[in-house]
Amino acid sequence: MPTAGKGLLLVAWITVLAALGWMVERNLVVGSDLRLFMPSPRTATERLVLEEIGEGPGSRMLLLAIAGADAQAAAETSQALVAALRGSNEFHWIANGAGDLDAIPDRLLAYRYLLSPTLDEARFDTKFLQAQLEERLHDLTSPAAGFLEQWLPRDPTFELLRLLESWQPAHQPQLLFDVWFNSAGQTALLVAETRASGFDPQGQRAAAHALQRAFDEVRTDPRLSLEVSGPGAFSVLMQERTQREAQRLGTLATIGMVVLLLVAYRSLRVLVLGLLPLASAGLAGLAAVSAIFGTVHGITLAFGFTLIGVAQDYPMHLFSHQHRGVDPRDNARALWPTLATGVASTCVAYLAFLFSGVRGLAQMSVFTVAGLAVAGLTTRYLLPWLVPARGRDAAGSALLGRLWDRVASLPRPLWLGVAVGLLCGGILWLSPRPIWEDELGGLTPVPRALIERDSALRRELGAPDVRYLLVIQDRDAQRVLATAAALGPQLDKLVASGALGGYDHAARYLPTIERQERRRAALPSAPELRAALSAALQATPFKPGVFEPFLDDVERASKLPALGPHDLAETPLEARVGGLLLERDGRWSGLVTLTELRDPAALGRLAEAVDGAILLDLKQASQDLVAHQRTRILWSLAGSAVLLVLVVAVALREGTRVRRVLAPMALTTLVVLGVLHTSGVSLNLFHLIALVLAAGLGLDYALFFERAADNPAEQRRTLHAVLVCSLSTLMVFALLALSSLPVLRSIGVTVAAGVVSNFVLALLLTRPAGRRP
Amino acid sequence: MALMALATQVADPDTDALLTRLARPPPDTTTFVEVRYSTLVAAPLVASGVLEHREDGALVRRVTSPYRETTVLRGENVLLEREGSRARSFSLDRAPELRGMLASFGALLTGDRAMLDRYFSTTIGGSDASWRIQLKPVDAALRKRLALVQVDGAQDRARCFTLTEPDGDASVMALGVADRAALPASLEREELARWCSREAER
Repeated sequence: MPTAGKGLLLVAWITVLAALGWMVERNLVVGSDLRLFMPSPRTATERLVLEEIGEGPGSRMLLLAIAGADAQAAAETSQALVAALRGSNEFHWIANGAGDLDAIPDRLLAYRYLLSPTLDEARFDTKFLQAQLEERLHDLTSPAAGFLEQWLPRDPTFELLRLLESWQPAHQPQLLFDVWFNSAGQTALLVAETRASGFDPQGQRAAAHALQRAFDEVRTDPRLSLEVSGPGAFSVLMQERTQREAQRLGTLATIGMVVLLLVAYRSLRVLVLGLLPLASAGLAGLAAVSAIFGTVHGITLAFGFTLIGVAQDYPMHLFSHQHRGVDPRDNARALWPTLATGVASTCVAYLAFLFSGVRGLAQMSVFTVAGLAVAGLTTRYLLPWLVPARGRDAAGSALLGRLWDRVASLPRPLWLGVAVGLLCGGILWLSPRPIWEDELGGLTPVPRALIERDSALRRELGAPDVRYLLVIQDRDAQRVLATAAALGPQLDKLVASGALGGYDHAARYLPTIERQERRRAALPSAPELRAALSAALQATPFKPGVFEPFLDDVERASKLPALGPHDLAETPLEARVGGLLLERDGRWSGLVTLTELRDPAALGRLAEAVDGAILLDLKQASQDLVAHQRTRILWSLAGSAVLLVLVVAVALREGTRVRRVLAPMALTTLVVLGVLHTSGVSLNLFHLIALVLAAGLGLDYALFFERAADNPAEQRRTLHAVLVCSLSTLMVFALLALSSLPVLRSIGVTVAAGVVSNFVLALLLTRPAGRRP
Repeated sequence: MALMALATQVADPDTDALLTRLARPPPDTTTFVEVRYSTLVAAPLVASGVLEHREDGALVRRVTSPYRETTVLRGENVLLEREGSRARSFSLDRAPELRGMLASFGALLTGDRAMLDRYFSTTIGGSDASWRIQLKPVDAALRKRLALVQVDGAQDRARCFTLTEPDGDASVMALGVADRAALPASLEREELARWCSREAER
């Protein structure tokens, strides 16, 4: 092809890539809901668990601590922060313990008689009112008189104060300067509930930023700092650390890769051309996922880009086999059967994930299959037109020749391979230690210090447990509220016996309509109340007529319709009740959050006895889900393996050739699994994905070594290609293996070990036995 | 001669000298009777008990009659415990009048002139046998809740603390008085004010 034509092709290729990139950029939505990577729920309980893991109040709740200066400054900042975040887009509600009498809108004030439990036991008769008025006289001579006095004419029974107090947590932290403080009195404490679910890292990050911004704006002392704890804060922290570390290691790896390719091919042009198939693969994969699914999960991208790393090897084979006197297109044509076998078998293997029943994995499957196919085809049909025909011939390297001869003269006891395979298989089979890591948190463990700090804050604040949750379900919201209210006394008993620290549910804020109506019916008529009040006033020094506003409010209350869950908009109750009483697909779920649960079994028995109630152990349930998910993935993998063997068998036809090609990767998989297990590593999803990548790489190494067969020049070229491929891959993943974060480490260690093992075994096992050069 | 000198010092309104004389290093306790005038009640309300100035700086107000109640005022926080009901805690921000009362009271107990000046403009008058300190809040927010603090006393003892609110409500705290019987039979405000400013018997 003339130089102008080559230039044109290069420009056209890059233009297509740019257009594809632009299209993907415009259309693709990157999602971050982790549930996309969970198996679809099989039972109603599993569905509930999946909803609650991310949506429940425990996972949305952030614990805030303000400290660093004197207590008063911390308290002022706490108040200002609450004011700044009230009604924000990121938070449902934020509380610091200040029961603000003015926070309740005027139209709701008369509802205090329907919401407060006073009328369940008492009647507004002379005796009751007299006792109340007596108390109020004492209040008037107390130091609190100044601010209580103004409420007296309207509310002589202090119903509003009682209501606000009953809304506070049972064991709330101490109040200093009107707001919650830790027991040392130095740290102001707050609780906030994010609108974003705990499973939405992007939403959690937005909330974290909004929080910090608001804090920076309102803090009254520059020495004050804000500490945020809770599942959402941890997920943001760990995600940021993972990204930072992956980026740092990625940059190092890129530099190393560039150096390696320059040393191997001594050509800037080859370096640039080598990137084109991989870039095409990534963009084609993204475009395919975008066209089929619309959104792509962040983890799909991470896994997908890991897996299409195989494609980086494709152009290497072309480059290493290129030498003077060979047209690059002929070179590509000659390599194609081998390359195509590798591409096709890997693609077919990844297809199995399409049927794993996990949406995120199906996306990953589409991404990798499209990506690898495009990388293979461009390497075959586009790249050869651009590769310079006069490259250095790797076959001319004396060093590679000596290396090959050295390897060829090594003894290759077949029994050793069988023995190693049996040994590793035996270790895995017989080991008493569980092979798998079931805890979701094991992937991104939060530093121990932070966990301890979180439990300390949780204890001080009486914040709900993130593990256990009692759920009441019914088609009718009122029935849910009634059940929750009926559970109250039994839960109180558990609190009294120490099995439970405390609890919270919607009926504490919003009684059932029936109960409200009963209280309303218990209100005296206007003339009755007037008579009772004047009788009660006889014995007090209160002036006659002072309590007219009280009489008005009671009369108003006796005509009020009861409040339902839909009547709470723009009241302080909206957020509280909204977080604990939820409507989903026509069903109502009432959540009973638990604090410091010390005896889950007792609570489980309690829940069992109540119709429609269930105690969720989110930790256990999520572990079950992970185990269930793993089973499906393993079945998919088994399917992949069968398909892969079939494709290789069809391509190579001869039984011995098939065995020689498959032996290195099969043995490597066993060896890596055995080594990881014996060194105490529990396997997770990331190890599995990494093993799949390693197997794909191993297959390619073996295919090319097998192809080189007896031709010494081709052997050296193949050795050159596979050396470049495996060294570059090894470098990238060895860097990841150095990471302090288990997610990156598990991928890095597995692939690095797999590459070494695959390279060595492919070199030793793929040549026909007995034939020596 | 010494008394003469003191009398002139007081007559020549030297607040510092008076503060020095009044200061009582903690721990210190004194009985009190508090009379509260509220627009809500026809007759003034009376409570009596003990005031304690603890070594840690906290001020404890213990009411023993006609009901039992303890208030601990410490720093910016008020903790109120009454027999038969749950403890209540609130900050001085909620009760600015209390902050004013505390500031004046604390300043007199410790002889802290700077504290007085931070919250009040001070006028002083009378004689050694009956002096009066009038404290007007400087801060506009405080003035909305507290119009005037008046301290009546004789020689080196403060006798009455009178807090007047802008709406006319007021409370008078008579110090060193064990119970209601020690106060005049009528608790009309003028009557009590006269009692507070009576001349000390020499």
